[in-house]
Amino acid sequence: MLPLRDVQAAFRRALLAEDETALAAFVDGGAARIDVHRNNLFASLGEVLRDGFPAVCRLVDERFFAYAAHEFIRHHPPARAVLAEYGGSFADFLADFPPCRHLPYLADVARLEWLMCVAATAADAAPLSVAALADFAPEATPLLRFTLYPALGLLASAFPIDRIWRANRHGAPLDDAPIDLAAGGVRLEVHRAGSEVVMRALDPPGFAFRQTLRQGGTLEAAATAALAEDRAFDLTGALGALFREGAVIGVTGTPANCEAPS
Amino acid sequence: MIASETVKRGIAGAIGVGLRAPHLAAFIADRPAIGWLEVHAENYMGGGAAPAQLDRIRRDYPLSLHGVGLSLGSAEGIDEAHLLRLKGLVERYQPCRVSEHLSWSIAGGTYLNDLLPLPYTEESLAIVARHVARVQEVLGRKLLVENPSSYLRFRHSTIAEPDFLAELVRRTGCGLLCDVNNIHVSATNLGFDASHYLDALPPTAVGEIHLAGHAAVMRADVALLIDDHGSAVPPPVWALYCSALRRFGAVATLVEWDKNLPGLPVLLAEARKAERAALATLGDHVAAS
Repeated sequence: MLPLRDVQAAFRRALLAEDETALAAFVDGGAARIDVHRNNLFASLGEVLRDGFPAVCRLVDERFFAYAAHEFIRHHPPARAVLAEYGGSFADFLADFPPCRHLPYLADVARLEWLMCVAATAADAAPLSVAALADFAPEATPLLRFTLYPALGLLASAFPIDRIWRANRHGAPLDDAPIDLAAGGVRLEVHRAGSEVVMRALDPPGFAFRQTLRQGGTLEAAATAALAEDRAFDLTGALGALFREGAVIGVTGTPANCEAPS
Repeated sequence: MIASETVKRGIAGAIGVGLRAPHLAAFIADRPAIGWLEVHAENYMGGGAAPAQLDRIRRDYPLSLHGVGLSLGSAEGIDEAHLLRLKGLVERYQPCRVSEHLSWSIAGGTYLNDLLPLPYTEESLAIVARHVARVQEVLGRKLLVENPSSYLRFRHSTIAEPDFLAELVRRTGCGLLCDVNNIHVSATNLGFDASHYLDALPPTAVGEIHLAGHAAVMRADVALLIDDHGSAVPPPVWALYCSALRRFGAVATLVEWDKNLPGLPVLLAEARKAERAALATLGDHVAAS
């Protein structure tokens, strides 16, 4: 008796490692028929990546993208069935992919497009109003931590990837002004406003503030990081804006009126 | 004999189409007449615009949830987290039917994005039956299981596919989604008789029929039909549909179109063709009985 687990392991190896020897012994008809399934797998996932990373595709051209996508799928196939969640490691793959070395900004453009994918389909959540802060002891305010909206993403790049993305998104004019790669980097925030995915540049302290909170740092740590960028950073204004934009969905800290156990 | 208005209305209400993203806005704005809509469950498991639009759609149309990711045939078990996400959709959208496939996609923790074939053995039957029972337990409702399109046969299979499905129904109480295009594709690729296949399915278990087009290709000197949902329903699939209706009665029917997706009017015209075919077949049926 041939256990199903072994059949499925052989199938997986035939599709991804292109080693059909084990599977071919189990099935009638051979390679052409196994090919149907391999084509279904690579064509469908290639389309998912092409839809998710259109600017990357345009930067490297369709044929090279198809090759890079094929290699990525072989070595990093999805673990789950929700394909909107597939492609999170494509940028890291491109960063280490030798044929892309002449495009140093490519991986960051891919990171930006991934944040846009995440922003489009991240879980819905109810934003908190700034009044939520009243639930916490004022003296413990510096130690508050915030959960930011899942759709909100932050990305810093040494390259002007926002301009590169705009010039290479679907339908962008080909004769756009040349982009000077040495012009400096950019700090970006991607978010969902209603059903639209929006991107904007943040100033260095604003980015440091949100990035520290996003990574789970305390309000005090976020303020310190922002002040290190600019001593004139307006903490109250930045905190108010975060709530006003609906970016905060959770606050943790010491509750107000919390009596110490006697 | 001319079918009564009641029969006509009943048949029109039984015909649905697959809802695809490019048609969402038109369904919301124009509310074209169609009995029901079906979506792939996995496309609505996140947040943002898509699930919100589906809420809007659901107010105007009955909705069927068609899963492609549960991997009912995986030897390593089904993904409980995925099943819970499906349950969330069932609670949110209150679908008229929930369906999945007799296939597998997950091995070694990897999701191989295709509906892969199972060897039809007692072991596979026990595994699929266990998973179908688990899904029905978690969802608290009947699951329809769809027959796959096949391109190869396992040498160690011991059970014919329709017998496998019939036994699955007997063990779990699940229903069947009879995809007549898949039967035609598999019958051609593997060389069996499609009408014998239909005859072997338990007729009262069939809760939905799928119609779609396929592509004929040559792969290394092997002529194959590929179930690509990329064209209008071809004549042999219409013929099989009429046989299925004669055997199963007035079953809810879906026209699926994914690749080369046409404009909505073309898709709706295909649905009306199904309606006319059902009316002609079942009208005769009523007259004959």
